Amino acid sequence: MQKNKIKGYARSIRKFWEQYKESKLGIIGLFTLLFFILVSTFPEVLAPYPVGVLQGDRKNLLQPPSSKYLLGTDELGRDILSILIHGGRISLLIGLFATLIIAFIGTFIGVSAGYFGGKTEELLMRLTDVFLVIPGLPLMIVMASLLGANFFNMILVIGITGWTGTARVLRAQVLSLKEMPFIESTRAIGASDARIIVWHILPNVLPLIVAQAVLRIGGSILSAATLSFLGLGDSTKISWGMTLSYAFGIGSIFNDYYWYIIPPGVCITLIVLSFTFIGYALDGIVNPRIRER
Amino acid sequence: MGIGKIIIKRAVNAIILVFIVMTINFFLFRLVPGNPVLMIISPDMTMEARQTLFIKYGLDKPLHIQYINYIREVFKGNLGISFVYNRPVFDLVFERVPATILLLLSSYIITVILSVALGLVAAWKRGSKFDISLIVSGLSLHSMPTFWMGGLLLMYFSVNLGLFPITGLSTPWLVHENVYSYIKDIAYHLFLPMMALGIGNIGGMFFITRNSLLDIFSEDYITTAKSLGLKDKTILFHNVLRNAMLPLTTIILIRLGFIIGGAVTTEMVFTWPGVGLLIYWSVLAQDYPVLQGAFLIITITAVFANFIAEIVYGYLDPRIRYE
Amino acid sequence: MVLLDVQNLRTYFNTRAGKVKAVDDVSFQLEKGDALGLAGESGCGKTTTALTIMRLLPFNAEVLSGRVLLNDVDLITIDDKGLREEIRMKQMSMVFQGAMNALNPVFRVGEQIKQGILIHEDITKEAAWERVRELFDLVGINPDRAREYPHEFSGGMKQRVIIAMALSCNPNLVIADEPVTALDVIVQAQILELIRNLRENLGLSMIMITHDLSVIADTCNKTAIMYAGKIVEMADSIAIFKQPEHPYTQGLIANFPSIIGEKKKFIPIFGSPPNLISPPNGCRFHPRCPYVKEVCRKEEPEVVEVERGHFVACHLMK
Repeated sequence: MQKNKIKGYARSIRKFWEQYKESKLGIIGLFTLLFFILVSTFPEVLAPYPVGVLQGDRKNLLQPPSSKYLLGTDELGRDILSILIHGGRISLLIGLFATLIIAFIGTFIGVSAGYFGGKTEELLMRLTDVFLVIPGLPLMIVMASLLGANFFNMILVIGITGWTGTARVLRAQVLSLKEMPFIESTRAIGASDARIIVWHILPNVLPLIVAQAVLRIGGSILSAATLSFLGLGDSTKISWGMTLSYAFGIGSIFNDYYWYIIPPGVCITLIVLSFTFIGYALDGIVNPRIRER
Repeated sequence: MGIGKIIIKRAVNAIILVFIVMTINFFLFRLVPGNPVLMIISPDMTMEARQTLFIKYGLDKPLHIQYINYIREVFKGNLGISFVYNRPVFDLVFERVPATILLLLSSYIITVILSVALGLVAAWKRGSKFDISLIVSGLSLHSMPTFWMGGLLLMYFSVNLGLFPITGLSTPWLVHENVYSYIKDIAYHLFLPMMALGIGNIGGMFFITRNSLLDIFSEDYITTAKSLGLKDKTILFHNVLRNAMLPLTTIILIRLGFIIGGAVTTEMVFTWPGVGLLIYWSVLAQDYPVLQGAFLIITITAVFANFIAEIVYGYLDPRIRYE
Repeated sequence: MVLLDVQNLRTYFNTRAGKVKAVDDVSFQLEKGDALGLAGESGCGKTTTALTIMRLLPFNAEVLSGRVLLNDVDLITIDDKGLREEIRMKQMSMVFQGAMNALNPVFRVGEQIKQGILIHEDITKEAAWERVRELFDLVGINPDRAREYPHEFSGGMKQRVIIAMALSCNPNLVIADEPVTALDVIVQAQILELIRNLRENLGLSMIMITHDLSVIADTCNKTAIMYAGKIVEMADSIAIFKQPEHPYTQGLIANFPSIIGEKKKFIPIFGSPPNLISPPNGCRFHPRCPYVKEVCRKEEPEVVEVERGHFVACHLMK
């Protein structure tokens, strides 16, 4: 029995991959993401220079790109390319964990509201409305500045503010699932609510949860970068947002330190873009409208 | 009439939301690790000053009394005193509201015009090279940090090309002969931040517009319109646009609340003297009264904007209107 | 005289999964005054044939070959302007499934019809509106209701509106696509009667597309049976019902329950409709045919006229 189930899963994965391959954007996104993951896993090995605060080259502060320093140096004499290589890890980790929180909260609230209906649904939807109305970034700023700026708080803050979209989408899906005959018959046999939710509802909304998660990772990374930029990030870890905040802070705009200000932004854009492309490709599969060839 | 009932229902909703928001605001700022007293009393004050304020603000009273006091004070317009400026928070915030509203509304107009126009063209020329390049551009724009794009615009157009002023709302030392030149000066300063925020926010709206229009194009009644012999252009501008008006207006109104956040970073990059910049400075300086007051005001504004959106939607949907 | 001459029509859809051969070499003729019923199961290509004739195909469809001659004008190659101004509504119009979304929900129903009239007739807006009211009368709706919105009408009434719209410019040919499918039986009967009367009084030629043979029996004097993108049998309706020659037609007719007469058991046509991206070789029906021969698996059957006016595409007919 188990072997058949595994074979079945393998077949659907292969079918999924067949479809995914069709999307050029999806492939580009996937490879870009893999590139960043690879680089972020071994930064010490790949980075040409050390990035400690005291390890900068004092004789070469704020130098434009040269053969020695491919992307120039910052105000402490550190090699910017090395800094960028180290900076990816934080973005990926924060994006991942914050999105896990978003997926968890969003699924919990969305499924509960959709399945139980009645007063539960009303209460949960009002809660969702509150979080929807409050502007996201200001709330994150307030919470981050009150709780203190570190890695965990960033994840928490981004997670707590980002689940509303997922909750709504999941509730809608559960509402339509609820009407389906197989749920009614399962209930008629006498299955408990918990059993129905875990064994019947959740497996069916799983693709949607995954699609939502991919969509939200990009946004989470952008929020994290913005928070770091505003000084509310973890100052003990190197991140692209933080690098940009230093870049702006020492007047790169006015002194035309283009090598300091352009590359970190490009990195953020590329990594978010990779998730966006992947999300776009997934959307094409999960939501099949009549798509052109 | 259906519309009257809607207004009342939504108004009650909005008021409840405002209260919830105020409550959240109150308790949120109690989250400050350590003494909630830090909210009101700056660590720079002397012991005596602290004692006075301690009693004056009733920080020795139980929590629910503090809450009631807080609500009462908010209604009186008292949002506390800024640590840094030593002025009422309310005044500080309201001085800056016009600048932020100017930036938000002008940039939003840009966003809407560009998103709808491009979304329309992309949907109409679906699958063409133009459509695909628009999609890729839209996705890329959506993935770019707004503040970074603002910084690049500033660096290129202001510093390098000298086309636009670098900071602020208006040139401080310039004496204006008349209102007209004052407005020109402001517009000159407004252009870059408006474009930065306006273009930065296009991403989502472009795709939603394009998808809504594609949905409409595939509806049966469009085939009927074609069978009547209507020209493609007529169908687009006469029929499709009418059908799109409802979903588009909804989208436009609802997303209005989402752009408020983007103002903070844009104001900071361009040194635009609005509420967003105030919030940034208050975070840096740990000026909690200002942070709390500004946050409350923009949140209530968002609730209000949402309320207006729901009313307009209720008016436009013929199913609700003709009930 | 031949009003509509369809020759070797081929319409394919480009999809992610492949090219769907929805209409694959379809040919037939419609005489003036005839009502031709185009029948077949879902997905057999009947609606696509109609949309191809009307040039209302979706964007991912491609007409690979064929001619559609309406009074000697090829509808496939005619320019857009000619199609819109001369052909549409004035010579040929379509009756859609009214119960569905065929009417635009944000416009009043009379407005939508008036729009069509004003394109083709050089009359004033007021005169056009008068005609709308007359049309409503003709199809049995209170003319004052022309100012109402689609959601205020029931399914049957919406269908009448669609019929009124199709007749608004006095066409010669009306193509009706499943006009009564979504309606309940009693309303169905009313609409069919309306269609019959209108056809008689106005001398219309008609193509009626449906999967329901009883609807064809009620309204059409000729019938064509489609399967997997091809016409397998075409004849006078009476001949099809009394003497079906193609095994598929026989299967359909055999399962036609009758209130009078002896009780019969249902004999289902076993198997399922073929994949139109890679249809079966030879005769497309061969995997499900009880009389299948070797030749059926290899060669596509040619059309044979077994009796005057009775055409069958089947190897058994030789």
